[in-house]
Amino acid sequence: MAVTSKVAADRAESPGSASRSFNVGVWNVVSLAIALGIWQVGATLVASPFFPTPIKVVEAFIQLATRGDTTGHSLLAHAWASIERVLVGFGLGVLLGVPLGLLMGLYPKLYAGTRSVIEPFRFIPPIAWIPLAIIFFTGLTRFAFLIFLGAFFPIFTSTLVGVARVEPIHRKVGVVHGASKFWILRNVVVPTVMPDILAGMRVGLGTAWLTIVAAELAGGISTGLGRMMTNYAELLMVPHVIVGMLLIGLIGFLMNEVLLLIEKRLFRWRWQVSL
Amino acid sequence: MHGYAPTAKVDVDATHRYGQLVVHEQLKFSVAANEFICICGPSGCGKTTLLDMLAGILKPSQGHVLIDGIQANPKQQSISFVFQEPSTFPWLTVRENVATGLKINGARREEIEAKVGDIIRIVGLIGFEGYYPHQISGGMKQRVAIARAFATDADLILMDEPFVSLDQPTRERMQREVLDIWRHRKRTVIFVTHNLEEAVYLADRVLILSVKPARIVADLPVPLPHPRDPLSAEFTEIRSECVRLLHAPEGGDAPPFGSI
Ligand SMILES: Nc1ncnc2c1ncn2[C@@H]1O[C@H](COP(=O)(O)OP(=O)(O)OP(=O)(O)O)[C@@H](O)[C@H]1O
Ligand SMILES: [Mg+2]
Repeated sequence: MAVTSKVAADRAESPGSASRSFNVGVWNVVSLAIALGIWQVGATLVASPFFPTPIKVVEAFIQLATRGDTTGHSLLAHAWASIERVLVGFGLGVLLGVPLGLLMGLYPKLYAGTRSVIEPFRFIPPIAWIPLAIIFFTGLTRFAFLIFLGAFFPIFTSTLVGVARVEPIHRKVGVVHGASKFWILRNVVVPTVMPDILAGMRVGLGTAWLTIVAAELAGGISTGLGRMMTNYAELLMVPHVIVGMLLIGLIGFLMNEVLLLIEKRLFRWRWQVSL
Repeated sequence: MHGYAPTAKVDVDATHRYGQLVVHEQLKFSVAANEFICICGPSGCGKTTLLDMLAGILKPSQGHVLIDGIQANPKQQSISFVFQEPSTFPWLTVRENVATGLKINGARREEIEAKVGDIIRIVGLIGFEGYYPHQISGGMKQRVAIARAFATDADLILMDEPFVSLDQPTRERMQREVLDIWRHRKRTVIFVTHNLEEAVYLADRVLILSVKPARIVADLPVPLPHPRDPLSAEFTEIRSECVRLLHAPEGGDAPPFGSI
């Protein structure tokens, strides 16, 4: 019994992962190929310079990646400018959103007493801050500020809500063994709230990307994927605009995948429900 | 970590209310150091509340709950508690769950490993150390909680219907193990159960509580040597006495705010 159960434990940790990930990979390749096929057929039928085929987009991509754009910035420089802004703003959102969410979740009076100050800000879209941000800040600070505004609230709110999920019995376990408040925070509250924090981060990351592109479109700078797209839109060079769009989608997707990987490692203890 | 106190003597004289609801009205009893007592009483009469006060998690509205003459306080006394509700941490493996108390007390790694290994063997969870709680059964989770409580070698052990989710043979084995641990190193045990046979099998003394507001209906010594035979005449007699007292007129639950 003891021996077989050990084997079962190993199996339980990765239930059939090998065969399943293989299937998932195949399916994704197939759906990607179908999507590209539809695009190619559609573009060929329409045959308009404003509706390029995938091949035209690939050519634009190669051109941008190897020779840079009309202003002399490489594609990498544009992409990195956007990524850096998102990472700084998003990082600030995590750094402030998580501790503040925990604090206000653990001391509900603090939240109840400051709601009228905090909550209205949640409903001002980051994009509505762009004019002010252009007046007050320049460069990285401006974008970091705007992205922070977009990322902060999803992270803050889901952390706050997550704290309410802490089971009183788990706190009691700590208290009975003489644990300090810090121990309970570290070993009971944080593990309970962690899934909500990660979920908030994923939503926040989405908002961050929304905001960065809008902020870059607003102008005032020379780099960034949003900037590059506006430049090419003014020249009516659609394939190059689409390269920017696809890159934004791809980078966002990859960042989200990284968060999902972290979740997978962190939450091996979670049960899965399916209907 | 904890001040050295080889035994724990308990004195309770407390009144407790939750808002309007009077749970204990001048509930008064003592437990001698190293004594094993069982508490029985109708559902909702305040047994869990009483244990919470003994653990220092809850302060009585009036009166006191003293351990060795001072206010019950888990930071100063070494107390263990097997809760009635499921209480394992779902994000920790069986092994990590069992080690929780030892880690809080700042035990050394080798000590943790040795003690956790021992107690996991005693509760019969060998082979499941790496499992997460959602991968084991309800009764196994309860045994994890029992193991966690016993791993720390506390002076006062509080157990709130710890064996209800176990099958009869496992339950009997756990009863023998608890008695064994208790005899091997004496300490004070306060054990809540609805099962009178279990109470008479384990305890030096059985306390029977009334419905809310709870008071002690009976305080029955069980002067039988271990191991006890549940089929013996003396055992059956004490058990019948307990049944009679528990089913006395005030037995059964009264509605809250009955008089209002
Ligand atoms: N946190 C609380 N707030 C208000 N009332 C409570 C609280 N905890 C318990 N009570 C009430 O106190 C009474 C005693 O509850 P307790 O859990 O101590 O009963 P118990 O004797 O352990 O019952 P059981 O045998 O069913 O476990 C119940 O009527 C319950 O409704
Ligand atoms: Mg109870």
